[in-house]
Amino acid sequence: MRSVSRPTAAVGLAAVALALVTLLGLPTPLQAVAVTVVLVLLPGHALARLTQVTDLPLAALLVPALGLAALTAVSTTMFYLAVWSWQACVLTMSLITVLACVARVRQEAKWQLS
Amino acid sequence: MTSTLDTPNRTERRWKTRDLWLSLAGLVSLALAVGAAASVVLPVSSDLGLAAVLPYPYWVGVLLLNATFFVALRGDATGPASRPVMMWLLAVQVIVLFGVAALVTDVPRGEVAFRHLGIADALSDMQRVDPNIDAYFNWPGFFALLATVLEATGLDPVTVALWAPVFNVGLWLAAVAVITGYLTRDPRRRWLVLWLFCLGNWQDQDYLSPQAFGVFLYFVVVAMLVGPLAARSDKFPGLRRAALAAWWRGRSPAEPRPGHRVGALAVVLLLIPVITASHQLTPFMLLIVITTLTLSGRVWPSRLPLIAGVVLVLWLVYPASTYLAGHPPIEDAGLQIAAEANVVERVSGTAGHLLVVQLRVVLTVVLWVLAAVGAVLAWRRGRLDMRVVLLAVSPLLLFPAQAYGGEMLIRVSLFALPFIALLACSVLLPGDGSTQPSPRAAGGLALTCFLLAVLTVTGRFGNAQYDVFTDSEMDAVATVERLAPPGSTILSAAHPTPWRSDSYLEHRYRTMDDLCQEDFTTATCGPIVYNYAAQNPNGAHLLFMRSTEASVVLQGDSSTQGFAEFEEWLSMQNGVELVFSNTDARIYRVTP
Repeated sequence: MRSVSRPTAAVGLAAVALALVTLLGLPTPLQAVAVTVVLVLLPGHALARLTQVTDLPLAALLVPALGLAALTAVSTTMFYLAVWSWQACVLTMSLITVLACVARVRQEAKWQLS
Repeated sequence: MTSTLDTPNRTERRWKTRDLWLSLAGLVSLALAVGAAASVVLPVSSDLGLAAVLPYPYWVGVLLLNATFFVALRGDATGPASRPVMMWLLAVQVIVLFGVAALVTDVPRGEVAFRHLGIADALSDMQRVDPNIDAYFNWPGFFALLATVLEATGLDPVTVALWAPVFNVGLWLAAVAVITGYLTRDPRRRWLVLWLFCLGNWQDQDYLSPQAFGVFLYFVVVAMLVGPLAARSDKFPGLRRAALAAWWRGRSPAEPRPGHRVGALAVVLLLIPVITASHQLTPFMLLIVITTLTLSGRVWPSRLPLIAGVVLVLWLVYPASTYLAGHPPIEDAGLQIAAEANVVERVSGTAGHLLVVQLRVVLTVVLWVLAAVGAVLAWRRGRLDMRVVLLAVSPLLLFPAQAYGGEMLIRVSLFALPFIALLACSVLLPGDGSTQPSPRAAGGLALTCFLLAVLTVTGRFGNAQYDVFTDSEMDAVATVERLAPPGSTILSAAHPTPWRSDSYLEHRYRTMDDLCQEDFTTATCGPIVYNYAAQNPNGAHLLFMRSTEASVVLQGDSSTQGFAEFEEWLSMQNGVELVFSNTDARIYRVTP
């Protein structure tokens, strides 16, 4: 059985939990914080970890860059397909985060084997 | 023995005390600047803009901040002050220089941020992209992002636009910090590049806009190109074919781990289409830089230029084809057209406005001259990194490609700024990383940077007379958008007008200076505007504001008297009646 590292599990679970919370709705300042985390920071962090970048400043820069870029790609595609809603974006971004975490688990398993 | 053990502790304590004082000085600078900015009374009435009305404590704060920064940069024999202190001082600098307008007023500056909010709002309402609306809907990436963020967070769009410059410059600085981390090992130079990047950043492109987003992602791509995707190559062998081929084959990746390179390449492959979908100009800059660095043998994945080019062409041919069909991109190309649009047409207006324009030029020229001298010095010492020169110079290739509404030089100087700052450091910090600047040198640098800050604030906020809006003007805009029936025309005297933020598609928006091609004489412009307004069967509203009048007068398109005559003539025409007025604005209804 594959072991899942704590950071990977935490990111994946946080994405699911925060997506649900933001879809249910929070008071304005909390909603803004939660949405920023679930739409930008968590996917950015999960994707940045997949890149295997070890340089800390570059890894920190990639979190907002990848988060914003991925959200732009998702929302633009949804607008072109005429299926956009912010709720759909939240769900898609949390799905991307979870998938990135799954890929990370596979990466970690590969490293353990080698 | 005891004294030996105590020595590091005492050193550590001294460090902490010095850091505390430096942080405190930063806090005092911030308090002085914030307090002074908050006391500015609107409207700004000087032709020199905000710089002329900021009280002296603001400038004391800026001077103190620069002095503090150079004390911190000088540090001691081991290097500059600790990273948290340097970051704190940089954060204060960002707020003081880029947040000052937000401290003066709670209304975002300029017209364009309001328009961008309107586009995001229209996208949210339509829930699809209609490329027939205008150019923005042919490059909708940033607006899709903005619409999603605003709808999901529930944040006030105007507040987001107000603080966008601080947020964007923060993102740019993070990217520039990573880039300089790869290009120089000298920590003092790294911090000085970031400081100079702020001080040279008069271009005012950091508002809520696709270009600000594009510049951030562009810098991230550059960070990948000079970082994990960099290549090492031998000295350029000349143009003989065999030697060139051997040189090209002799390149090796700077990052030895293939997995890391693949990850970095994946990041760039995501960012290229996102940049391409978000802004018209940035993808061209990206293509130029990727191609230049690759051809110089300093980027490992040699097919990146091809990929960036194909993505760009595909975007132009498909999603942006609607716009391009009516606007061929080479229509405004050529050195002469670019020079006229970017230089000649901008150097007009009142004496104060001309001085602001000249100061912007002076600031840019000073930095470029410093960079040129720095490049020569570094080359003589054998420490010139050609990548920095290429990154600084390659944006110039954009200049003759398109007039870009007279803004191309501004964009060129922004794209080049981090690398110009890095080259300028060879002059400002001539020693190597271990050399501590003398107190006199640090004092000279502090004074120089204070003067650069004065130039930046003057250049950046030089249009404050017409791009900082009063509450009365905002009331007038809200009123005219409420009064105007759907499909009717709203005519404002000139740009900038803070309109279209939440009824982008509801009305036909035009400005009188656009209609009259900046000829505001009553005899010429009056009938054009009146006939245009009266044509619309749904009616029209004419909006005259203090800021639009200031814009026309300041830029030399009319005089105060001429503008008043023009408004009076229009107000006396058949079917024109005054329906709203306050201290800063008048609205006239035109019945068809």
